[in-house]
Amino acid sequence: MDSVARVVTRADEVSGWLLRRTLQALITFAVAMALLFVLMRAAPGDPLSRLSEDRPLSPRDVAVLRARYGLDQPIGRQFASFLRGLVRGDLGTSIEYGRPVTALLAERLPATLLLGGSVLLLNFTVGLWLGVRQAVRRGKREDRWLTTVSLAGYAMPSFWLGLVLAWLVGIKWRLLPAAGMQDPLLSFDASAAARTVDVARHLLLPALTLSIVSIAATMRYQRSAMLEVLRLPYIVTARAKGLSQRDVTWRHAWRNALFPVITLFGLWLPILVSGSVFVEAVFAWPGLGSLAAAAVGGRDYPLLMGASLLVAALVVAGTFITDVAYAVLDPRVRLA
Amino acid sequence: MREALTPLRNAWRDPGGRAGALLLLVVAIAALVGPWFLPDPLAQPDILAGSAPPGLGHPFGTDQLSRDVLARVVAGARISLGVALLAVMLSVTIGATIGLVSGYWGGIVDAALMRLVDGALAIPRLFILLLVLAVWERVPVVALIFLIGATGWFTTSRMIRGEVLRLREEGYVRAAEALGAPRRRIIFRHLLPNALGPLLVTATLGVGDVILLEAGLSFLGLGIQPPTPSWGGMILDSKEVLVSAPWAGIFPGLAIVITVWSANLFGDALRDAIDPRSA
Amino acid sequence: MTRWTPRTAIVTALAAFSLAQSLVAQSERSPSASIVIVTGQQPTMPIPTLMEGAASSLGNMELADQLFLRLAELGPTLLTAGDRNFVPVLARSWTRRDSVTLAFDLDPRARWQDGVPVTARDVVFTFSRARDPAIAPRLSELLRHITSVTAEGERRVVFRFSHPYAEQLYDATFHVAPLPAHLLDSIPPEALARSSFVTQPVGSGPYRLVRNVPGQFVELTANQDFFLGRPKVDRVIIRVAADPDARLNMVLSGQADAMDNVPPPLDNLRRVAADSSLRLIPVPSPTVGFLLFNQRDRRDRSQPHPILADVRVRRAITRGLDRRLMVQAVFGTYGEVPYGPVSPLLWIRHRSPKPALQNLTESRRLLAAAGWNDSDGDGVLDRNGRPLTLELSLPNTSGIRRQMALLVQEQLRQIGVRLELQSLEFPVWAERHAAGNFDIDFTSTVQDPSPAGLTQAWTCNGGSNVAKYCDPRVDSLMERAVLGKGDPGQNWVAALQQIEADAPAAFLYAPTYVYAVKRNFRDVKINPTSSWILLREWSPGPMR
Repeated sequence: MDSVARVVTRADEVSGWLLRRTLQALITFAVAMALLFVLMRAAPGDPLSRLSEDRPLSPRDVAVLRARYGLDQPIGRQFASFLRGLVRGDLGTSIEYGRPVTALLAERLPATLLLGGSVLLLNFTVGLWLGVRQAVRRGKREDRWLTTVSLAGYAMPSFWLGLVLAWLVGIKWRLLPAAGMQDPLLSFDASAAARTVDVARHLLLPALTLSIVSIAATMRYQRSAMLEVLRLPYIVTARAKGLSQRDVTWRHAWRNALFPVITLFGLWLPILVSGSVFVEAVFAWPGLGSLAAAAVGGRDYPLLMGASLLVAALVVAGTFITDVAYAVLDPRVRLA
Repeated sequence: MREALTPLRNAWRDPGGRAGALLLLVVAIAALVGPWFLPDPLAQPDILAGSAPPGLGHPFGTDQLSRDVLARVVAGARISLGVALLAVMLSVTIGATIGLVSGYWGGIVDAALMRLVDGALAIPRLFILLLVLAVWERVPVVALIFLIGATGWFTTSRMIRGEVLRLREEGYVRAAEALGAPRRRIIFRHLLPNALGPLLVTATLGVGDVILLEAGLSFLGLGIQPPTPSWGGMILDSKEVLVSAPWAGIFPGLAIVITVWSANLFGDALRDAIDPRSA
Repeated sequence: MTRWTPRTAIVTALAAFSLAQSLVAQSERSPSASIVIVTGQQPTMPIPTLMEGAASSLGNMELADQLFLRLAELGPTLLTAGDRNFVPVLARSWTRRDSVTLAFDLDPRARWQDGVPVTARDVVFTFSRARDPAIAPRLSELLRHITSVTAEGERRVVFRFSHPYAEQLYDATFHVAPLPAHLLDSIPPEALARSSFVTQPVGSGPYRLVRNVPGQFVELTANQDFFLGRPKVDRVIIRVAADPDARLNMVLSGQADAMDNVPPPLDNLRRVAADSSLRLIPVPSPTVGFLLFNQRDRRDRSQPHPILADVRVRRAITRGLDRRLMVQAVFGTYGEVPYGPVSPLLWIRHRSPKPALQNLTESRRLLAAAGWNDSDGDGVLDRNGRPLTLELSLPNTSGIRRQMALLVQEQLRQIGVRLELQSLEFPVWAERHAAGNFDIDFTSTVQDPSPAGLTQAWTCNGGSNVAKYCDPRVDSLMERAVLGKGDPGQNWVAALQQIEADAPAAFLYAPTYVYAVKRNFRDVKINPTSSWILLREWSPGPMR
């Protein structure tokens, strides 16, 4: 009876925690939204300026256009109408492209998710593996070398590395395409296999660039988590029982060292999006990063707001999911 | 202060940490005294000649505008290191203050501050900077330092808050509180000195991040304004000649890599020294 | 068992990709004759009358030129005055009834891509929309001298103008291409931008739109029934890469066959030239870059500028610059020092005198005469204790202007003028430019082929005269030139001479664009007013 009661309490605790955590995520998102709105409208620069780059508009035309985009309204009203639109899933019309922001974001999101996902995959496979190796060989030459090399990668500006790789692999050796996401000459009815290979070839260089400059963080994290686990009594026992190094590492230690690393997942998104602003430009990758960079340059309020909101939502959701997953996976987590 | 010195000494014992510290020292000394021995980093003696490869007269070659790359890298070190150090000092100070306030006072202050931090962390720092940088009339170096510092304290404050929450559970802090020690005394005598170690790690690692960030901003043309040489700006200037005059971009690139790398090596060793479990 | 290392993994992966590519992808590339053009701007709305505001981009206009034909095209002389220098396209011929009336006869073979003949009704319909300021503010301004467009039967259209002037034919043909009235007159003007016509346009041009993959490329296919002859290049891909280096990389890596305007520095040209499969084609550009001197105080627009209102200072700065050296350093042989605000595209440049050379003695004399001396010996001139310091604002998006600005800064330092560079984000720069909030503004304009556009920036009440430059002599000379009184060329040159004397700006560079095109294309013709408009006449070489 006693144990049943404890289970019920635990379930109540979990649902209460989940509720609080959800509320917190929503508040975070709201704060981010308010911050963005204030930042963006406080910045000088007329979004209609680009229209008159070469051919100047008369003040009358500018007034017509300002009214069309609601820029003549007081800022409070602009925010209110923005919120109303948000509820309906309408983020306004991009000034630069003249199309709904949601449609533009939807077009560009897959490319960014593909690039970001590949980088995550690389970091969480290769990075974890290297981190574990380092922990096992702590203090040895391999550990030192991996630290040195990965930190050198971490120290490299992504745009610089991207330029060098595009030139070396794309132009000098002609091994992989230097830019773009697919070969436009691939015929319309090409097989799915051909399409996949094509996109994968284009993906490799940008993904590698982003991964090289970011993998060090995953490795460091995994290394320290692993070291902590390796010190635990049951590992010492397992070793004492004569299990092979490989079994101890991968069967027993690694699984438990994985938990803390999961928390990295949520932290990755903003880093990847910031990094992809440069990398997407260098490789002409048609994702959110290059779209957002263009929106910053053109002061395309609706588009920039939409893109930043999407990123903020991704980050908040990422952190939330990580927290929940962590709590579910590791019952030792205190639900406070 | 003594609490912070022990990890420093331990970090120095670590070969990686020592290498990082020595390299940083070399860069700092070069930045301080180098410009006295080198040509004017702004002079354009022969613009039609364009860039010349590394040679006796110019150990790092010259850039497109025939300016000496070595002189510019060294002059750029002053700017990049200076900006990074000051910005990090600022962000660490703000972060520590907010973290202490949040962790020590708790309650609604804590909740409000931490939600603000959460919200700010959800927006990539680069986006915030791009938007704010446009507000300024000119972007003098001071403003840049302020902006980078003011957008870098979010994680620090969270970390310090956690540290404060942990320390408050410690016996001696509880004892001090029970004895009715004034808040100021508790904060400055007990909480802050014990949080100095992690703060030092954050600061060292932050220097590397800020150098990269400043390079990125200068690369976008929004950071240090020409003709003041900065590493990111030099890479921007030489982006188009990456293939035919690689030295003009590779040397500032290497300067970034080496500086950031040694800051990270040292920060890493420092972290291990503070938290021996991870060593 | 071989030892597995990351290096073997990478090499294996690369090899696997290359192999897979050669096995799968190569065989599925379509065999037709195609060309891949890489460009910087994404086309969003390539529809005549809709290219307003943000949509009036080069990306849209160049695509629209493939989809929609004009009545006539500007011929290779680029002479916009008079009726002789135009090539018939949709219109087979035209006749002048009097000094304010032009009649066009449409080519009876012309068809829309759905098979319906092109008629006078289409032209009347299009101009009724283009001349409505509520629909097309930009176009209606350009077409303001046209008073009516009427149909006479199926094939004849009559244009009437408000007064006699030299560029009537140019105005009637250059700015807008006809739209199919039979498909569009049921759609209200404000709904057109959201209609399916934008994504599946039906034009009269040599190519039709197959698909638009956002952020990546646009695919066009040859219009098999094109009445001027089916284009020999079957398929056109217009790829988009916003970053100029990414564009160059695509051409150098063989991912694209052609690009317009290989970006400076010169080094890029050398790299393209070193690739034996590529040809460099110089084309006159519509661009002219200059340092615009503010005539008024940047904070109080009613007051003269404290330093630059003095013509001696403006001239001294211009004469203090070695513009030839700067152009040579940045553009090599692909650029020149302009005489007045004249891009290489304008026909009037052929009749202009040579620009003045650097003259430091003259420059120093002018500054001394204006009261500027280095009394404190710090290398910077001063007057009444105020140093001769000026701010130069420029957008951070332009590599050319950035490089030029550094050269200018260093050269002016030698005559004791301190220039502070202010590199701004594009919208901020544009806003300050428009508001006149600058000392010296690094302006670069893109000009239409008609010199009449010069009145906008250089007459007292011109719409884009942000520096408030005003010389009534220039105004009257330009007015005579636009109206075609006397020899228009002579009047234009006289106006330019007056501008050079007033030195409202230091005119720095007029570049020649250099296109890179794969050598296997033949009959390569490029019209400077629209990069790829003559693609319909190109022939593909041997298949790749």
